[in-house]
Amino acid sequence: MATDRTMSTTWKGTLMEGSGTIHEAGSGAFGPLEVSWPSRADEPNGKTSPEELIAAAHSACFSMALSAGLARAGTPAETLDTSATVTFVPGTGITKVALTVRGSVPGIDEAAFVEAAEAAKVGCPVSKALAAVPELTLDAALA
Amino acid sequence: MPRIVREAAVSWEGNVARGSGTMSARSSSAFAEIPFTLASRIGIPEGKTSPEELLAAAHAGCFTMSLANELTTAGTPPERLEVRCVVTMDEVEGKGHQIVHSELQADGTVPGCDEAAFAQAAEAADAGCPFSALIRASATVAVSATLS
Repeated sequence: MATDRTMSTTWKGTLMEGSGTIHEAGSGAFGPLEVSWPSRADEPNGKTSPEELIAAAHSACFSMALSAGLARAGTPAETLDTSATVTFVPGTGITKVALTVRGSVPGIDEAAFVEAAEAAKVGCPVSKALAAVPELTLDAALA
Repeated sequence: MPRIVREAAVSWEGNVARGSGTMSARSSSAFAEIPFTLASRIGIPEGKTSPEELLAAAHAGCFTMSLANELTTAGTPPERLEVRCVVTMDEVEGKGHQIVHSELQADGTVPGCDEAAFAQAAEAADAGCPFSALIRASATVAVSATLS
């Protein structure tokens, strides 16, 4: 079954001098969020950006895929702490996503955890959607 | 050009079916501890976000900035742009869940710009938006544009 998620943005003015609002999420979970070019390309100053939202999406998707894989292997996770760092070069595009995960997983050794994390990195839907990113790295270890 | 880095963090507890997570914006602190679960990702959101909702926010934001830039470059800077983005995830035979489509609908108030020029700017914005270029690895992207 297909799942749709909808977001809306309002922008006023030019790219360099204008500003935008990402309206409250359809789910009600967050927003509205302010965005601008200076806060995207320079210091955030409390404003999010498309790249930060991609980082949130990727870290969430990866964590769910990893928890599913660990449970299938008979070693469900207690806690997974994941961060994603997205690198954007204006004029070039999004050049890198770096995933870091630390897991508390009873009954698993380091090698099996790293293997499960590598599988989640390849298999999660956001990784597949971002497969054209030149560099996707993973740093996985038990906490 | 300088490299721009943005970070977000997630904490997940438990298995995928019954566990839950929260996500936070580490670079900007613009959002924190937003909840998400598998049930709310593939079913009714019930106040929780999902990776696909965040991608819809990212794509709407990225495309809107790209469109503002195209219109300004063309000599017709926008007064106001309204962009809606719908991201669809589906189960693809043999490939599991995939993000299969992103639908962008742009509505603009742009002095001195006609429908044809606005549609052309929207096409150029899609071509120039870094996120549009990426998501085509697994999804189709459709753009429609109208002046209000």
